[in-house]
Amino acid sequence: MSSPYLSAQKIVKRFPGVIANNQVDFTVNRGEIHALLGENGAGKSTLMQILYGMYQMDSGKISIEGKQRHIHTSKDAIKAGIGMVHQEFMLVRRFSVVENIVLGMDSDGITGNLTRARERIRDLSKTHGLHVDPDQVIEHLPVGAQQRVEILKLLFREAQLLILDEPTAVLTPQETAALFQVLRHLAEQGHAIVIVTHKLHEIMSVSDRVTIMRDGCVVSALETRNSSENQLAKLMVGRDVSLRVTRSVRPRGKPILKISDLHVTDDRNQKAVTGIDITLHAGEVLGLAGVDGNGQSELAQALLNLRAIQSGQVKMADVDLTHRSPAEHHRNRLAYVPADRRHVGALMGLSIARNVILGSHGKYASQFGLLDEKKINRFAKELVRRFDVRPSDVDYMAGKLSGGNLQKILLGREIMRDPLAYVIEQPTRGLDVGAVEAVWREILSERDAGKAILLISAELEEILNLSDRIAVIYEGRIMGIVEAGDASIEKIGLMMAGVLPDSEAPEIRR
Amino acid sequence: MKGVLKKRLEPVESVWVIAATTCLSIFLALLFGGLLFIPFGANPMEAYGALFAESFTTWRGFGFTLVKATPLILISLGTIVAWRTGFGYLGFEGCLLIGAATATWVSLETVPNGLFGPLPFPIFILLAITAALVTGGIWAGIVGVFRGRFGGNEVITSLMMNYVAIFVVQYLVSGPLRAPGDLPQSPRLPRETWLPYFLEGTRAHSGVFIALACVLVVWIVLLKSKIGYELIVTGLNPKAARFGGINVGSRQIMAAFAAGGLGALAGLVEVLGVHHRLLDGLSEGTGFIGIVAALLGKLHPLGAVIASILYAGMAVGADAMQRKAGLPASIIFIVQSLIVLFILASDLLRYYTLKFPFFRTPTTPSVPPEKPEVKPIGT
Repeated sequence: MSSPYLSAQKIVKRFPGVIANNQVDFTVNRGEIHALLGENGAGKSTLMQILYGMYQMDSGKISIEGKQRHIHTSKDAIKAGIGMVHQEFMLVRRFSVVENIVLGMDSDGITGNLTRARERIRDLSKTHGLHVDPDQVIEHLPVGAQQRVEILKLLFREAQLLILDEPTAVLTPQETAALFQVLRHLAEQGHAIVIVTHKLHEIMSVSDRVTIMRDGCVVSALETRNSSENQLAKLMVGRDVSLRVTRSVRPRGKPILKISDLHVTDDRNQKAVTGIDITLHAGEVLGLAGVDGNGQSELAQALLNLRAIQSGQVKMADVDLTHRSPAEHHRNRLAYVPADRRHVGALMGLSIARNVILGSHGKYASQFGLLDEKKINRFAKELVRRFDVRPSDVDYMAGKLSGGNLQKILLGREIMRDPLAYVIEQPTRGLDVGAVEAVWREILSERDAGKAILLISAELEEILNLSDRIAVIYEGRIMGIVEAGDASIEKIGLMMAGVLPDSEAPEIRR
Repeated sequence: MKGVLKKRLEPVESVWVIAATTCLSIFLALLFGGLLFIPFGANPMEAYGALFAESFTTWRGFGFTLVKATPLILISLGTIVAWRTGFGYLGFEGCLLIGAATATWVSLETVPNGLFGPLPFPIFILLAITAALVTGGIWAGIVGVFRGRFGGNEVITSLMMNYVAIFVVQYLVSGPLRAPGDLPQSPRLPRETWLPYFLEGTRAHSGVFIALACVLVVWIVLLKSKIGYELIVTGLNPKAARFGGINVGSRQIMAAFAAGGLGALAGLVEVLGVHHRLLDGLSEGTGFIGIVAALLGKLHPLGAVIASILYAGMAVGADAMQRKAGLPASIIFIVQSLIVLFILASDLLRYYTLKFPFFRTPTTPSVPPEKPEVKPIGT
């Protein structure tokens, strides 16, 4: 190819104690979708933030269309034609689409501009297939549309290079496909597009080239069509990985956890869960699929009575736990691994040893109510060894652990309690491939030990890999429950978007 | 500030760094405060020398320092218990006054025809301590219940309760407990109920032992026991606490009771050890300075003791300085405030490093380690 649109050469960025980017070379051409692949901490975010002017590089050179550019702030980046869609959208929720798009632009008079801006937004959305009504207020838009607003914002600023950080994390498979179509179209129009991701199948389906980073270095940059998922995984992790888990077929055991006609409201007192019925059996993983924010977290919290239940019933074996305290849930052997590891599951300011006893700390008190440090240490050491937590120092502050190691502690803590049923929420969100493997293994081994597991996850791959049955949640209702054998991405995806696969309608239990 | 401060990747947790920045803050506060002596023609070094000499090297001054430090230690312990449980209680002035009133009442009833009759001192003091713990506990516990049961804002309610306590004491000393005479104050307490002096030739009373015993108890209960674990977990992260089966509301109420009780003991030692009667304006802000001492001690019992003694020593020295050299004691209060300000500001250094772009000569970027050899795998 001719000279690339953007070329970054020998980028070095150090943070105290780590080199986040070590002599990184990165190029993007006009007209291509370029995937940037790497595990957490591989340095991809750092690199993108340097390109977008949020970090200063220590050394290196960035040139755009052959000319060297100095990018010190985001404003410089925008001027140079670089735009970025962050994982967390940067939109003012109470403002309309057009207000959000012109926000922060140098303008001469607001009112006259808005009409003109509205026209341009209409044009842009028509040419690029980004359907958005400029006068809608952001908070009334679904996530997919908010993302389109973010992209329009970049196009409005005439960005030539579009960087999208984990753009599919909040989308249904169908929305993802639509997004990819838009990106393809933009690339054909001569834009350069970078998507930062760790989802291999997406890279295979949408990108032209892929750059793989590991430990702050670029490991390889190759044409997507000359590679395979396995090869990419190997390059990313640095060793062979198989993310296909083998799941033996087991007969379903007796019912353990019965949820009937559950109604729960969210923090704003809006209905979040409206009449959910689920029966969880021993020895099965019931996957609860759904796009984030469809009532999954509220359901999980309500099951443990961490959130008030409006009506309905939660029964464990034959004990009614609906309005019992979380401590009684523990006593009745229902375990919970929360999605928010850092704010709900763990005590970031305390040591590993102090974290592993949370919930069963009563067992570690002597008759005078003093904590038995020896017993705690022994237990903590055992947990750390069994679940291979690193570092293995039990006095290490939990807040400094990596996501994967923290998750091993949270999961291990519940497993060591030997519960009958688990509610596990987003168990691998933000984890490295290696850690994902370990967590999946633990979940399946608990299932094989006859435990009942409700697996709540927004990662469809995870659901499909681990579940015996798959329930799909949409706007607080169960759209249907499908046997793993009958499940396909398309079918689940439609249900995640609220569409019932009408013709067959298998096993829909309401 | 851009260009001068550089964000650290993670905050510094090292005890030594925190200790060093704290010492540096105190030093800087003394340095800046020292400038205030210059208009009076005084040498700051000598003034400080006199200040600390009085409160820490003279027997009499040290006695006063202990007397001043005792209620501060108790208030700071109360602060530690409350704040570490996530209960932002500010009503220690009120607790102190309520505790003082309770101790006064118990003491005044420990006379031949009183409610309790004459009692041997150990029994009297146990009775007084229990009574103060109960009334102070209830006083703060009310706020705790507001918070724990109904989610009321404890900062506002506890501050307002301070005023209630002030007026309760005014009522008591001008009504039920008023001594014959013109002054709104209670009668002098019977001498047998005073906390005994224990250093010859000083005013140091044995209330300091009550305070130190409380330090030990708070230390053990908060940092070594199951209840303490539940309190700390509640304070660090109520969501995690609830998840861990801890009853957050009841733990907050418990912390409120304990904090109120400790605050009331501060009132008890003031009345039985210093004033020997209940009077209006007894507390003089002790209930707030104790909170400051706890914060300076990083909410650790030991740190709080050190900070309390330092604060008490400075207050004693300031009085002596004013008496002897005619320098206004307010300078020292300014210095005390500067210490707080600098220590709070020094926390910034845990999150940022300083860099001085104007001092640094441009250098060629140092060469990073060689890129590891990576062979592409596959075709």
